[in-house]
Formats: sequence, structure tokens, C-alpha cells
Amino acid sequence: MDTADFKDQEATLIDGLRQGDAKAYQTAVRAHSPGMLAVARFYLDPSSAEDVVQDCWVTVIDAIHTFEGRSSLNTWLQRIVANRCKNRVRNANREVAMDFSEPLEPGLASRFNAHGRWELPPKLRFHESADTLMENGALSDCLDKHLSALPETQRSALILYEAHQHRSDDVCNILGVSASNLRVLLHRARQKIFLMVETFQETGEC
Amino acid sequence: MLMCKDVACIASDYLDGNLNGSKRLSVKLHLMMCRHCRRFIGNLQESNRLLRAHSSGGADDELLNRVSKRVAEALVRQSSGKKPS
Repeated sequence: MDTADFKDQEATLIDGLRQGDAKAYQTAVRAHSPGMLAVARFYLDPSSAEDVVQDCWVTVIDAIHTFEGRSSLNTWLQRIVANRCKNRVRNANREVAMDFSEPLEPGLASRFNAHGRWELPPKLRFHESADTLMENGALSDCLDKHLSALPETQRSALILYEAHQHRSDDVCNILGVSASNLRVLLHRARQKIFLMVETFQETGEC
Repeated sequence: MLMCKDVACIASDYLDGNLNGSKRLSVKLHLMMCRHCRRFIGNLQESNRLLRAHSSGGADDELLNRVSKRVAEALVRQSSGKKPS
């Protein structure tokens, strides 16, 4: 398809969206949601990312009347998603008071004796490869559940840094936290995921 | 000398390469002597890999259907005069 065809098709689609045409929305959702979801997953866990994408589409029903066509529809939609995600993370940042001086999760700290040696050391080695483990649907669901339960800032730090491999100074900018606080956020979040995987491997339960 | 709990406190910094030379060496020496901490660090690293594998999924059909359904409901609400949620 050449550029002129693409522009014509996009203009027709936008007209349909403005008229509230259900078929146009169906087409647009199929065409643009994967990109929107990829953006949301830069900031949030999979289930929160899907929530944001759904909310954005509902917003678009009204907001499409203000779309001036200065950017492509795709860019406009992805910007809405990014702004929503950033607001969500910033609000969470204001709400969550975290003790940055405590590097260990209580569930891990209690496994050491008074001399700082392991009293309850890790029993199993996580021997299977990540891909093999992820073929296990129950584990995948469990990860989703635990990611959703993390404080939003810890979750965003983990998703941005670990899952999407952003540089740490970029993550600090997005989340508005210092480098040393980011290190604590990441460490606390990783311990929670570690404890979750450990329980899952030992008991098969989430 | 580092204790196991000290290693657990700085495990992420060790994995991310945020420790200075002497601290890093102390952790390495501890790991040579302590199989529990070797396992802990290994498992922490493995759970990070797991997280990367978990978050790389795309938008599947089921998800697109859920989004489409929600939008269709909002359109119906709007056309019947109610403000969409």
C-alpha cells in the first residue's frame, strides 16, 4: 500500500470513529491495540497494561472529536496511553510511602539468624529455563497476580528495568526517583518475585 | 567479612554491577565459600529471566476480543445517551 492509500484508509477510519461506527472501532482496536499495549507494558504489568488500553479506547470515543490529524492516529493513541501510564505511576508514587533504608523484604529477612547466617536457606535451585517455566500457565498466572499486587512504583521499576531493559537513568526520569531509591525499589520487587517463584516451585501453589 | 544477610541485602547491586571493586570481590569470596548464597543469587537471577520471558508476550486474540467488547459496550451506552464510564 502506498502512502496516499494509507492516508485515505486512515481518514476513512477516523471518520468512522467520529461517527461512533462500531465496525470502525472494531477495525481500529485490532489494528492499534497491539502497539498501545506494547507502550503500556513499558510502564505496567500485563494486567494493568490491558486495563489502561481498555480505558483509553473508551476515552477515544469522546476524544476522537478533538483529534486534529497533526500526527498519525497510531501516534496519537500511543501518546494517550503513555500519558495515562505516567499519571498512574506518578499518583502511585505519591501514595506509596516506602522505607528506602530497609533493603530486605520481611519474608526474606526472617530467614536469617541473629548472626546474619541463613536459617532457612533456599532449598531448590530454579533449574528449569525461563522459557520452560513460562510454558506452565499456572506459573504465568501466578506471576501476573504477584506483579499486580506489587506497589505500583516497585512494579513499574521492575517492568521498565528488568522486563524492558531500560537504562537505569531513564527509569529514574520516568518514575521521578533517585538512583539509590531505584536500586532499593528493584531489589525489594525482585525479592518478592523470587519468594513467589520459590513457593510455586516447592508447593505448586501460588 | 560479609555475612549471608549482607550478601542478600546487596544481591541486586551485585547482579547489576553497581558495587565497587573491593565490595564486589568480598561478595565473590563469600559466594565461593557459601552454597546457600550461591543458590540465592542464582535463583534471584533466574526469577529476573522469568520476568523478562513473561513480559514479552504480544496482544493475543482473546485480549483483543476483551478490548473490542468493552468498546462496543461503551458505544452502546453513549448512543443511548449515558456517559461512558
